[in-house]
Amino acid sequence: MERKRVTGGGALRNGSGAGLLATSLILASGPAWAGVPQSIDLSALSLEELGGIQVTSVSKRAEPASEAPSAIYVITHDEIIRSGAATLPEILRLAPNLQVAQTSANRYVVTARGMNGNPAVQSFANKLLVLIDGRSVYTPIFSGVSWDVQDVLPQDIDRIEVISGPGATLWGANAVNGVINITTRPASQTQGGFVEASAGDQQRSLSVRYGGAMGENVAYRVYARTVFQADTHTLAGTSAHDHASKPQAGFRLDWTPNIADSLTIQGDAYDGYNAQAGAPAVPVSGGNVLARWNRTFASGAALQVQTYYDRAARGAEVNGVASLTVETYDFDLQHSFVLGRHELVWGGGLRNSRYRIENTASLQFAPTSRSLRLGNLFVQDSITLNPDLRLIVGMKVEDDPYVSAVLLPNLRLSWNPGQGVSYWGAISRAVRSPTPLDRDVREFLGPTLFLVGGPRFQTEKLTAYEVGTRLQPTSRIALSVSAFYNRYDDLRSIELAPTGGLPLQWGNLMTGRTQGIEAWGDFQVTPWWRLSAAANVLDEKFRFKSGSAQLGGTRRQPGNDPKYQASLKSAMNLGPAFTLDAALRYVSALPDPRSPAYVELNGRFGWSLTEKVQLSVSGRNLLHDRHREYVQASAIPRSVFATLQWRF
Amino acid sequence: MALLRTPSIVKAAVRWLAFAVLCTSLPAVSLAQGLPLEYAVKAAYLYKFAPFVEWPPGAFASATSPLNLCVVGADPFGAALDSATRGQQVAGHPVMVWRWAKAERDMGCHLLFVGPSKAQIVADALATVAGQPVLTVTDRSRGVTGGMIEFVLVNGRVRFDIDAAAAQASGIAISSKLLGLAVSLRKEPG
Repeated sequence: MERKRVTGGGALRNGSGAGLLATSLILASGPAWAGVPQSIDLSALSLEELGGIQVTSVSKRAEPASEAPSAIYVITHDEIIRSGAATLPEILRLAPNLQVAQTSANRYVVTARGMNGNPAVQSFANKLLVLIDGRSVYTPIFSGVSWDVQDVLPQDIDRIEVISGPGATLWGANAVNGVINITTRPASQTQGGFVEASAGDQQRSLSVRYGGAMGENVAYRVYARTVFQADTHTLAGTSAHDHASKPQAGFRLDWTPNIADSLTIQGDAYDGYNAQAGAPAVPVSGGNVLARWNRTFASGAALQVQTYYDRAARGAEVNGVASLTVETYDFDLQHSFVLGRHELVWGGGLRNSRYRIENTASLQFAPTSRSLRLGNLFVQDSITLNPDLRLIVGMKVEDDPYVSAVLLPNLRLSWNPGQGVSYWGAISRAVRSPTPLDRDVREFLGPTLFLVGGPRFQTEKLTAYEVGTRLQPTSRIALSVSAFYNRYDDLRSIELAPTGGLPLQWGNLMTGRTQGIEAWGDFQVTPWWRLSAAANVLDEKFRFKSGSAQLGGTRRQPGNDPKYQASLKSAMNLGPAFTLDAALRYVSALPDPRSPAYVELNGRFGWSLTEKVQLSVSGRNLLHDRHREYVQASAIPRSVFATLQWRF
Repeated sequence: MALLRTPSIVKAAVRWLAFAVLCTSLPAVSLAQGLPLEYAVKAAYLYKFAPFVEWPPGAFASATSPLNLCVVGADPFGAALDSATRGQQVAGHPVMVWRWAKAERDMGCHLLFVGPSKAQIVADALATVAGQPVLTVTDRSRGVTGGMIEFVLVNGRVRFDIDAAAAQASGIAISSKLLGLAVSLRKEPG
C-alpha cells in the first residue's frame, strides 16, 4: 500500500494585493502554456466565481486547448496588459513560437516556423490561420493577413492561443504553419465603464468601453476606440510617410437563458486610412457581425452553431494591392460528445467569399470578381488508451475554391506519465490552397505583361512531424520544448512561359524542408518576480525541382527567415501598487536579401494610483534610435508612450 | 542535398528518437505537470466544498485533526492540488492531501476524489467507502460517474451535480448553499 503525505503546513500565502496585477504563486502556478492565468488566485474565489470561469476556449475541441498535444503557447490577459502592447501584432510578440516583424507604421509580417515570404520575389507570408472569436481573418485573395486592420481592445482579450505547427484537420486549409486563436472575454466579465487614453511619439489611442446587464441573463458591452500610428522612418532617417489612423467600434451581447444554452452576438466596424508616400492615403474600412449558439447537454456533449458576415475593403496602393472588397458569409457547426473512451468532435462549415477588385495599371486580376466557395467536414477522435496515454486521430475533407476536395489528416499521441513531465508527438498534413493571386493575377511592367497566374497552379503541401515535451521539475519552473521536421512540396515558384519567355507564370516547382526547435520556460523566482526565456532555432532548405527555370535567383523564396530567435522577459510586482515589466528580444539576420540581426527591448512601468485609476509608461524598441526587422521595410524608431486607465 | 534524398520516414524516425533521448536524459522531475485551467478550477472546488459539508460526529479525531482529502486512481491535479490546499484550514482542520493507487478500507478520508482510472478501480473505490462518512467526488466530464458530487462542464465552465440522497445515506449533510449551486440535484433516495 502506498500512502504519501504530500501536504504539510508552511503557510505560503499570496501576499500581493494589487488586484488586477497580483501575481499568484500559490495556486495558479501553472505556466502560461498550460492555460492557467497567472493572476487568478483561485483560492480567493467563491464557489459561484469558480463556476463562472471559462475553462475551455471556443474551439473545435472537446477538451481545453491547452491540453492539446501540440506546440501551444497561451498569451494570457494579464501578460497582454502588463506588456503595454496596444495592437494585436505587438501583443503577438509575446508568443515565443511566432516570428513578428514590423514593416511599416501599422504593417507586420507574422509567421510561425518560418515561411515569412520574400517580397523581392513576390512571395508573401500566407501559411498562418488567424481567428478572432471564431472568425477567420485571413484574406482569401492571397491567404495572408492584413494586420493593419485587425484590432481588438487589449482589455477585452481573454486569451490568445498560439499553435505553431499545422492545425489543418480542425481549422482547415491555410492552417499550414500555425494557428492564432484570439478569444475575447464574455460581456459578463467586462462590466462597468473603462476609459483608456494613451499618448506617445509613435502612437496615440483613445478607447472607451461600457458593459452592462439587462436582467440576470443578458450581459452586453459596447466600445469605441481609435488608434493613430505615426510615421516610421526610411533607412536614411527621413519620414516614411506611412502613418495610419483607424477608428473602430463594436459590441458584444451574451444571452444565457438557462444553464445549457448561451447565445453570443457580436460585431465590429472600422473606417480608417493608411498614408503612403507620394500618393493619396489608402482608405480601409470593414465590419463584421457574428452569432454563436452553444448548447451543453447533461451527458457532457456540446453543440455549437456559428455564423458570421465579414466585409473588408481597401483602396489601391502605389506598389501594392489593387483596390479590393471582400464579403464573406460563413456557417459552422460542431458537435462533441464522449463515447466510452472516445471523445469525439465532428462538424462542418460552408464559406462564401465574394470579392471585387478594381485593377490598377500594373496589377490586374481576370476576372475581377468571383465567389470563392469553401466547404468542409471533419471528425476527430481523442481516445484514452489508458490514463496516461491518449491517441488523437482526425480527418478533414475540404473542398477548396480552385481545387477539388483535399484530405487533411492528423495523428497525435500524448503521454502523461506524471512526475511533472509529458510528451507528445504528431504527424499531420496541411495545404495552402490556390488563391486569386495564384490563379487570376496579371502583372504588368509598363506596357508588358510580365507575370500571370494560371490554372495549373496547384496546392502547396506540407507533411509535418512534431514531437514535444512539457516539464515542470518544480512548482516554480515550467518548460516546453518542441521539435519539428516539415516537408514541403509543390511550393510556388516563378517559371517562364511555355514558349520560353514572358509572361512569367507561377509554378509549383519548389520543394524543401524546414526543421527546428522551439523552447520556452518560466521561472517564478519569488512570489513577486517571474522570469521567462525562450529560444527558437530554424533551419530551412529549399530547392528547385527539375524543370524549373530557377527564376528569382534565391532559394529563399518561400521564406527569408531568421535562423535564431531568443527572448528574455521579466515581470515584477513592486509592492501592491507598482509593476515593472521588460522584454528583451534577439532576432538573427535575414539571409537573402540580407537584413541585419537586431536586439531590442520593450518595457512598461505601471502604477495603480487607486483601485480605479492606473497610470503606465511604456517604451518600445528602446535600444536603438531605429532598427529594421524585414527587407524592403521601414526603419522602426524607438518610441515611448504614457497610458491612463480609468474604471467606473 | 544528399540529406534530402534520405527517405523522409527514416529521417523523421531518427529525429524523433534523438529528441526522445534528449528529453528523457533531462534531470528527473518530482512534481506534477502544469495544469490546464479546468483542473485548477476542479482542484479549487475540492477543498472549497468542505466548509459546506457537515461530517458526522466522530469523523474527526479532534477539533484540530486534519481534514483528509484523498485522490484515488489517476491523479489529474498533480502539484496544483497541493499548492491550492497548502496552509488551508476548514473549521480548524488543516487540509491534507493524500494519494492512493486504489482504495482501502479505513483510509481516513473525509473527501475522496476518484480520478479517471480503470472502471474496476473506480467501482472498487466507491464500493469501499460506501456507507462511510466520506464525501465522494467524481468527474463526469471525464467519464467517471458515481460520486456524491460529479463535476460537469456546462458552457465551458466547471459545475457540479449533487446526489444529496447518497450523501445523507452516508451520514453527510450538505448545506443548502452548496445544494443551491448544483446544476442538478438528487434528493430522494434511489
